[in-house]
Amino acid sequence: MRDERRTMKTTTRDGLAAWLDGLSERMTLIAPKAVGEQTLYRPVTSSSEIVFGFTKADLPAKEYFLPSTHVLFMVEREEGRVKVNEPAAEEARVLFGMRPCDARALRVLDALFLEEEPVDPYYAERREKTTLIGLACRQMDTSCFCTSLGVAPNEAGDVDLMLTEVTDGPETAYAVQAVTDKGRAILGGLPLTEVELALPEPAVGELVPIPEPEAWPQHFGDTFWERLGDRCLSCRLCTYVCPTCRCFDVRDNESPSKEIKRLRAWDSCMAENYRRIAGGHNPRPAKAERLRNRFYCKFCYYPQDFGPVACVGCGRCIDQCPVNVDIVEVLEGVAELSRRSL
Amino acid sequence: MIDTIRTKARELLESGQVSCFVGYEKGTRGKTRPAFIYEPEDVDRLVWDESCTHNLVVYLQQFQRPLKRGEQPPHVGILVKPCDSRSLNILLHEEQVARDRTYVVGLTCEGVGANGQLEERCKRCSERVPVVSDVVLGETAESLGEEHYADVAELEAMSPVERLAFWTQEFDRCIRCYACRQACPACYCFECVAEHLDPPWVSIAIGPVQKQFFHVMRAYHLAGRCSGCNACEEACPMDIPLSLLNLKIAKEVEALFGYRTGQDAETVPPLATFEKEEELPL
Repeated sequence: MRDERRTMKTTTRDGLAAWLDGLSERMTLIAPKAVGEQTLYRPVTSSSEIVFGFTKADLPAKEYFLPSTHVLFMVEREEGRVKVNEPAAEEARVLFGMRPCDARALRVLDALFLEEEPVDPYYAERREKTTLIGLACRQMDTSCFCTSLGVAPNEAGDVDLMLTEVTDGPETAYAVQAVTDKGRAILGGLPLTEVELALPEPAVGELVPIPEPEAWPQHFGDTFWERLGDRCLSCRLCTYVCPTCRCFDVRDNESPSKEIKRLRAWDSCMAENYRRIAGGHNPRPAKAERLRNRFYCKFCYYPQDFGPVACVGCGRCIDQCPVNVDIVEVLEGVAELSRRSL
Repeated sequence: MIDTIRTKARELLESGQVSCFVGYEKGTRGKTRPAFIYEPEDVDRLVWDESCTHNLVVYLQQFQRPLKRGEQPPHVGILVKPCDSRSLNILLHEEQVARDRTYVVGLTCEGVGANGQLEERCKRCSERVPVVSDVVLGETAESLGEEHYADVAELEAMSPVERLAFWTQEFDRCIRCYACRQACPACYCFECVAEHLDPPWVSIAIGPVQKQFFHVMRAYHLAGRCSGCNACEEACPMDIPLSLLNLKIAKEVEALFGYRTGQDAETVPPLATFEKEEELPL
């Protein structure tokens, strides 16, 4: 849809940087940062550490809501008594530079962790205490297919404050939209100018077919999955770079100090031991079965159980898979299977 | 060259000598990927060029069991580059691959690399012909380099403190996805010690200690077994220079024992054996 000219508030890159510096003094600021050759969401203490011109971060911001490792509580024995200690409460944070796909991914996680009983209190606390500052994409990267999943590259609905780069003028300026009260609450100090403008339209790619949840079960036994599984390495990469994969394991860890920590850490359905049960039985022993499960989880089980499709089209699994298991090719393959079975 | 590869693959599949041929094909978005050819008419999917970086030997494991219950394990054809052939020798020595069910098509190699750029290791590689094969396709090319271990010079120039800081920083990016291990032909344990849950030798935490433990442990398990194929590093989503660590250990193994990984399937790798009263040039 074409944006109409309207009065909008804009800020300059310098103004934005100074305001972020101010924010970082009051709360934890997490922003895209250059780490080696990569761009990763990391806590920063100065806006000079922030990468503004990135396409997408190499890892999603998922780890700030569902940490890769999270200590739920500690147990220690003290003079014959057992004492349970809880980790310190989370502090208020601002997450700058959320791309619309990553912000939508949090909505997808909300469906399970917040909108279903029981609510996950750890996820809820992190979500509650984090203010999201979105940064609209000007174009889709070659592996992006967010528009096929109902996310626009400039979608503002899933963040608290939305920034859109406005190309007019010699210096980079950003249109600022406060979306929620949380967003409005942190606006103070950001130098704003009122300008009459239409937001630039992002360049979008072609749509990928997303087969409906009901279309999947009939293809469960197709050899398509075995052939796809041939080259899968059965590593956890796709699930760990995915903004919506959310499986975890919980274990107790004894440390040398005899303090026991109950940990929750990422787990992956791609791992051979993920579904193994007492007695050694594994319902998904073959890697092709595990790979198939990942796609069924995303496009069939999760939408049926919780509502949204568990994919936002960020394309990270496409970028990173060492053996070119391409989720778009899989979706096209399943769509083709459906056409043939009509 | 690609025509001779396709002809060979077709011949093997048509004659029933193999039920699957493992090679390379063009994937999506200009990427090259492993290909599994089951029908003779599909051999035209096969490609061979400098983008064929994967070490396909990692896939031989999945053919050591029957494809269908009650059947015999299948015969399989596979393309190997010289470096890949040395990892095949390791698996043959360790009795992980049935040689009589594996038809090895060796390719002479002038180096591989992504985006038309030869990998550094290839620039220094002196091996142009696979060391194990049933047939070798391609012209015998001249070796480019000699100095296998030049890349570790920078690492060795660091003080122990600097080296620790370097590796701590590199391993810190690890997300414990195990792509390196899964891409490695020599990492075939039924259950990795890093993933064993009962008892949990390594915590499920994805923290600095576990990451370092995993990588150092894996590097030691690969001592004298790593062929330097670079599959681990290529698979790593976090750009950790894993090959550098393996190369340093390979250099030490060669200096101590005069052994290079997988030159043949018979020589016992030095860390798989010991002799009484063994003297090491330490």
